Amino acid sequence: MKLKNKSLSLRARLYLFSVAILTLFAINVATHLWGSFARSESLVAYRDAADAAQLINDLEQGLEAARQQVLVLATLRETTDEPLDKAERDTAMADLDALRQRLGRLGALAGETTDDYYRRLFNSAAALLGDWEEFYSNYNRINAPQSVESPIRYNDTRQKLEELDQRQEFLAIQRSSTIDGTIRLTDRITVIGFVTTIAVTMLLVILLIRSANSSLLRLKTGVQRFGSGDLSYRIDENRDAGEIQDLARTFNDMSGKLAKAIDEVNSAKADADAANAAKSMFLANVSHELRTPLNAIIGYSEMLQDELGDPGEVDRDQVQHDLGTIIVSGRQLLGLINEILDLSKIETGKMQVNLEDFLPVPLVVQVCDALSPLLSQRNNRLELDLAEDGEISMFSDAGKLQQIVTNLFSNACKFTENGVISVSAWADNDWLLMSVTDDGIGMTAEQQGRVFETFEQAEVTTGTQYGGTGLGLAIVRDFCVMLGGEITLKSAPGEGSCFTVRLPLTAPASAPEAA
Amino acid sequence: MSRDEGRRLLLVEDNDINREMLQRRLQRAGYTVISAADGQQALDQMRQAKPDLVLLDINLPVKDGWAVAREASVDPVLQSIPVIALTAHAMESDRQQALDSGCHDYATKPIDFPNLLVKIETLLKS
Repeated sequence: MKLKNKSLSLRARLYLFSVAILTLFAINVATHLWGSFARSESLVAYRDAADAAQLINDLEQGLEAARQQVLVLATLRETTDEPLDKAERDTAMADLDALRQRLGRLGALAGETTDDYYRRLFNSAAALLGDWEEFYSNYNRINAPQSVESPIRYNDTRQKLEELDQRQEFLAIQRSSTIDGTIRLTDRITVIGFVTTIAVTMLLVILLIRSANSSLLRLKTGVQRFGSGDLSYRIDENRDAGEIQDLARTFNDMSGKLAKAIDEVNSAKADADAANAAKSMFLANVSHELRTPLNAIIGYSEMLQDELGDPGEVDRDQVQHDLGTIIVSGRQLLGLINEILDLSKIETGKMQVNLEDFLPVPLVVQVCDALSPLLSQRNNRLELDLAEDGEISMFSDAGKLQQIVTNLFSNACKFTENGVISVSAWADNDWLLMSVTDDGIGMTAEQQGRVFETFEQAEVTTGTQYGGTGLGLAIVRDFCVMLGGEITLKSAPGEGSCFTVRLPLTAPASAPEAA
Repeated sequence: MSRDEGRRLLLVEDNDINREMLQRRLQRAGYTVISAADGQQALDQMRQAKPDLVLLDINLPVKDGWAVAREASVDPVLQSIPVIALTAHAMESDRQQALDSGCHDYATKPIDFPNLLVKIETLLKS
């Protein structure tokens, strides 16, 4: 049964179903027509048989009557000389003609199977009638031959007639039994066909319902599974064909798009959560960084207050040193606050660029000098490789370049111990190239990818080990972009880092938006 | 001064300025102060010098304060030494983490010095 083939489309199944039903219906109609034809055939056969029997009977009686008349006239002729008048003779001849006509009609009714019998009858009867006609036409002649009394011819004709009758009867019985068989057969076929049609129709309906139902069930299962959160669930498209396969495919397409959209929403949410977490971490770090210098400022101030309250000599050098510590811590605090403000200005787009003519190399030297205490804190050594003082001149923002150098340099000092920090600056066509290289702890590729992000340090624990809020490099990157340049980083874990800044000697008038 | 002379405190702090400041103030308050600048030194000093109390900064190189506190709290010799965590992290979760790590008390920077002295005395007496 073709309906078991699941790859048929619903439409094809319905068409097949209709064709099957129509075919069965056509077979039923044909069987019925065949039965009707057999019935009418049988009717014709019975009628022919009845006609033939009637004709044979008539012929028999006609022949009998004619013979009686001939015998009477033959006796009369022998005993009297009275001639036969014309009217009587014409009547007799007409009777014989009527007999001939009946014989002809009987011939018309005779089929192939009775042809031989009929021909024999016809020959015999023609001879008999011929004799009788001759008898009538020679009746008034004197010396006419007289052989009509002999019963041989008549009996022969009667016998042939009898044989034809029997043959006809036999054939009629035979034929009617065949036809009856056919009628019984067609009746049986009609009944069987009818019952079969009902059974097959029901079977087809059940199969159609089941196959359509199972297809729909698969779709429903898919929709339910997807709807209950199983976003990776897909309907098996190959179990169906045509419209249901299209529907399954459309559903799967929709599922894919929905799953993607949901993924995007989830990842956007995860991004937002991550950004939030980063801001919280940033706040915690800022709080930590503010508290460390504050601890020194408040602690030293309280201690000095206590000590100055003690009776006795004041150690002036000690007090001066302590006050210096308070000042350094205060400056550190100020620097931190400035960094946070800078970043806030950059983020809100309010950072101004002040372009002026200046010499970048002395500026770099100045920064390195100013930060020499930071350099010696972890026992690092400085190597300078700079172009001549007046060789390079720039039209750019000197303050921002100063901060760039400061941040990179202090960063290098922070992450290097007992090492060498090299600072170089040179011109390449219309660009200033300035690099700060250290041989400190370095960074992995993954850390390098994040290190310029706001609020990020290479590691979450980096802040606790090395201090800093993770703002310095973000500010440097933003300043480089504002001045029309860029910053690149080469590093490997344990092999130090090399930051290279590339700035145009003449900054563009309208600064690009910092990211 | 009513404080016990000769009580020995171990001050663990990596920031030189803050360590020096706190050391001087504690000495003025009458304690004997030994110091360490990282987590590993702190554990070594606890074992060698056997201080009566430890003031433990949390942001330390080599081994952070949480790790030091956890290690000390499961060490049969060191677990009897009271530990006060000192940290610039001021979140409530940091305080809880300090207590969970085995610290006995917690002080936030900037340090409220008189309050810290009260905490030290309370732990030394108990």
